[in-house]
Amino acid sequence: MNIPPDLKYTKDHEWVRLSGTTARIGITDYAQDALGDVVFVAVPHIGVAVSVGDSFSEVESTKSVSEIYAPLAGKVIAVNTALDGTPELMNSDPYGEGWLCDLEISDVLAADSLLDAAQYRALIGD
Amino acid sequence: MRTSPLDARHRSLGAKMVPFGGWEMPLSYQHGTVSEHLKCRSDAVVFDVSHLGTVRVNGAKAKEGLQRAFTNDLEKIVPGRAQYTHLLDTDASVLDDIIVWWIDQETFDVMPNASNTSRVIDAISGHDTTESRAVLAVQGPQARQRVQTFSVDAATVPRFAVRRVNIFGTECVVAGTGYTGEDGIEIAAPISIAEKIFDSLLIAGVTPAGLGARDTLRLEAGLPLHGHELGPGITPLHAGLGWVVAWNKGDFRGRTALAAIRDAGLTRKLVGISTPGRRPPREGCVVSHLGNPIGTTTSGNFSPTLNHGIAFAFVDIKHVEPGTEVTIDVRGSDLAGAVVTTPFVKKRSG
Repeated sequence: MNIPPDLKYTKDHEWVRLSGTTARIGITDYAQDALGDVVFVAVPHIGVAVSVGDSFSEVESTKSVSEIYAPLAGKVIAVNTALDGTPELMNSDPYGEGWLCDLEISDVLAADSLLDAAQYRALIGD
Repeated sequence: MRTSPLDARHRSLGAKMVPFGGWEMPLSYQHGTVSEHLKCRSDAVVFDVSHLGTVRVNGAKAKEGLQRAFTNDLEKIVPGRAQYTHLLDTDASVLDDIIVWWIDQETFDVMPNASNTSRVIDAISGHDTTESRAVLAVQGPQARQRVQTFSVDAATVPRFAVRRVNIFGTECVVAGTGYTGEDGIEIAAPISIAEKIFDSLLIAGVTPAGLGARDTLRLEAGLPLHGHELGPGITPLHAGLGWVVAWNKGDFRGRTALAAIRDAGLTRKLVGISTPGRRPPREGCVVSHLGNPIGTTTSGNFSPTLNHGIAFAFVDIKHVEPGTEVTIDVRGSDLAGAVVTTPFVKKRSG
């Protein structure tokens, strides 16, 4: 299972890439594998403010639907529009082209409470 | 949990295994459901369907017994042919939908859905031979050409024909049947040669496919699944499968109740619904017309061939006309759609 060491993770199988006050968010390799073929992503709305744990997106596969929860508090400032026509990017490149959205986060220190790669690897029993 | 004779093969291919009807079977392999689905429409795939039941019924009275149990009429076919039929409950609900392989004059293989095998045996008696064989469904426009690389006899069994065929020196039963809307064959093989046949199919370039693709393929082809479009409270008439009921033969189980429902007139019926967006409608969603609820979906998914959502739903008989505009409430989001004729994906000509 691919778990890049430079990212933060949640127990809901999302990843967070921090640069300054911007947090890029996506689903992990483990999550995309468990979901199976992604056929539709309801991306969040730009400008929406979210609190930690808010359900703000849905990922649908041929098998099931999965809610995506905000890993940090903040405001949605960008979404991956490529997912509209090619949601399978979440399967083929979950940490790259298959990203979900960018959050302008209100509390950078809050990211310290997220899991690091080793903790996430332990969580999924990999 | 029961496992297929090909279980080790599935695991070595990296299949995701899921419980299904008391069996643990492949959901998908390495490349995923959508890829397997498209391979079946363009080339050839193999499904391990060993979880289906096989009930061998034979003897001088076998045919008579099946005629009394099932809705369809074996007089429409001859030995060496297959027939789709229903077993009804006394209230005319569909207890199971079944393919009957009429192998020779006094020998039938009745193939129920996995979880219904015991109730079918209760109704028709016969011997459960499920443990003794594997069943492989090879489906797709290139299926026969690829099977031909190791068995010309199996590859040339015509559509809806049933033949005893020697494969690798061992007798199998091969039928020109399937559940995908594509041409193909199904091979019931003794366990001793199941792996050899499976391996030969892979060597011939056939892609293994799992239950995920089997479900999206049957849905596109407009084929019902028991437990969804068929089951308690649903008769063949509600499901639009009136052709499965032979009124001009003698009595069969559920006939009296079914005739009463027919004479009273149906109040709801199964329809296909097409939704233009990619978001898949799902089972159990409320269907509305002009803001009023008219029914509920029974299956729904993303159609890999059409690139949009498709669903089956039971709706009020007043709203079954193709073209009727509907909305499907998917967890609070309204998906716009329309009633359409099925199959959603038409069979290729030839």
